[in-house]
Amino acid sequence: MTKKMILLVMILLVASPMLFAQSADVAAQTKAYAAIGGGLAMAIASGLCGLGQGKAVAGATEAMARNPGAIGAIRIMLILGLALIESLALYTLVIVLIK
Amino acid sequence: MRKGGREPRKTDDEGMPETELWITKIFNDHLAGLGNAFLGLVGMHAEARPWANFITMQILVAAIIIILAAILRARLSFDRPGKLQHVFELIYEFVDGQAEDQMGHGGAKYMAYFATIFIFILVSNLIGIIPGFDAPTMYPSVPAGCAIATFLYYNGVGLRSNGPVKYAAHFAGPVWWLAPLMIPIEIVSHLARPLSLTIRLYANMFAGEKLTAVFISLTYFLIPAAFMGLHVFVALLQAYIFLLLTMIYVAGATAHEH
Repeated sequence: MTKKMILLVMILLVASPMLFAQSADVAAQTKAYAAIGGGLAMAIASGLCGLGQGKAVAGATEAMARNPGAIGAIRIMLILGLALIESLALYTLVIVLIK
Repeated sequence: MRKGGREPRKTDDEGMPETELWITKIFNDHLAGLGNAFLGLVGMHAEARPWANFITMQILVAAIIIILAAILRARLSFDRPGKLQHVFELIYEFVDGQAEDQMGHGGAKYMAYFATIFIFILVSNLIGIIPGFDAPTMYPSVPAGCAIATFLYYNGVGLRSNGPVKYAAHFAGPVWWLAPLMIPIEIVSHLARPLSLTIRLYANMFAGEKLTAVFISLTYFLIPAAFMGLHVFVALLQAYIFLLLTMIYVAGATAHEH
């Protein structure tokens, strides 16, 4: 199943210059590629960031459940960790916005 | 043709027209000479409308904080504190509690810088919610300035507290024979700190504004309001994160090995 998906994506990527080249000039083509690349980059960044933050919250809630006395300290670490992971997705957003 | 220098920027980096706030309009109409004098001090061309949005908004934020502090100082009372004093006591205790968490009792020396940077970034972020104003942290220069100030501050504090030799010894890592590996890694990581502080604050504020604008253009009422609420929460959180990271860097720089 995944091998077929990879093959399909590869064919699409290879064929795309021919598919796009008929209608647009160079500047619009670059803009089209920039938009597609930006969307793809942002999707990957947000997805992985979501996974990372999910792991962070899972670890934090389990630790808080095991050790209710340390809730204050764990909360600080959780907020800090979430913000740092979030900022990785934000770096991608900045690159996308600068196009 | 306008006299004196280039035309002002009609569009910003993405081709969106850069509109002037009403404050910036007042500054540009009446104080253009002063703005051009400042530009001349650093060797840039005079422009027709020299004041930028973020500069006037920063001045406004600073003026608000200074006026609030002056009013507070006039009304400080030990026996019967007023509401303003309560609010500022809350803020002070919050920052003090965080400093104690990070650095123990040595944190009291650096409270001035921590509280200043926290209150400045907090007010800057929140003033963007009000319709006629722009958050100055939405423009890339302002978070860059705060991050560079923090970078200079924690390095200066570390140098003064530990002495230059011991401070440079921090970069060598735990054991001496790892030093050729550790020193480049440490230098790069230290240089990455102001960069990440800048981008984190700037991207959060800018993305919040863009999101709200996009959703206002797409639909109406409750959904853009929800995103604006999220933006308020993110504004508070980002000010707190900036403060926390500043404290962690200062704690790392002033760490005395036992």
